[in-house]
Amino acid sequence: MKFENLLSEVREANLSYLMLARQMIVEDKAEATFRLGIDTDLADMIASLSSGQLLKIASSNMLMCRFRFDDRVVWDLITSHSQERETGMSSVHAAILLGSRSLETVQ
Amino acid sequence: MSAAKTPKSVLGEATQIRLASELARMGARLQVLESETTLSRERLLRLYKEINGESPPKGMLPFSTDWFLTWQPNIHSSLFLGSYKHLAGHCKLPRAEALVRAYRLYLEQTKAFHLEDKLSITRAWILVRYVDSGMLGTTPCCECGGHFVTHRDDLNDGFVCGLCNVPSRAGKTRAKAEMA
Repeated sequence: MKFENLLSEVREANLSYLMLARQMIVEDKAEATFRLGIDTDLADMIASLSSGQLLKIASSNMLMCRFRFDDRVVWDLITSHSQERETGMSSVHAAILLGSRSLETVQ
Repeated sequence: MSAAKTPKSVLGEATQIRLASELARMGARLQVLESETTLSRERLLRLYKEINGESPPKGMLPFSTDWFLTWQPNIHSSLFLGSYKHLAGHCKLPRAEALVRAYRLYLEQTKAFHLEDKLSITRAWILVRYVDSGMLGTTPCCECGGHFVTHRDDLNDGFVCGLCNVPSRAGKTRAKAEMA
């Protein structure tokens, strides 16, 4: 991938992520914070972004979303192809772990 | 008499009916509806029949805390309680609303993972009551760190969850054997 392409892909990903997040929060804040793994203060901040601010954040050269499966256990669970006794059990395990995590907060 | 003292709010009643019908549609027993709304038993009974087309099942609700600690129910309960605690605790939603929404999220997840929903809305409600009254709580598994439903007064030092340490007969139900 050419460098310019890469940058525009990053921006596009940022923009769709932020727009989706904002839309989810506006529609149902409680559920959105659960799905996004963020706390309500951060949700309020995202929801109050103007379109101009949103575009500005999105046009960064860095991705504005982050991997949630950043630990070994969750990673192994969601990538496991092993036939577990109960199909879907590793997905449930991963879901319980993600639900038990602390939320992304604004400091 | 009490109705004369505080005039009934039509909007408030509409909210109550919406909540009761949502619970009834999810298959909640009448006791749950009675406890979570202020509507009269007669109205709830009529509402239940209108929604489900039949009279609600009679008899006592299951009351054992042990059910929530057996292997498969424990996983389902822990999955549900994770979202309930987020909605009721972090988002500060009222109990009934958090219950309905967390249960909806639970159904969404079991569907995505192609699992049978082992936890009924009535059981979910009972679980919430046990947690509120301090009989059940959650303990982080010392291997994976996930929060799982446990007895509050058990010694939970070095607790390992049922998914990190799967018991040998776990999941081998009669239904599974017949399917094979």
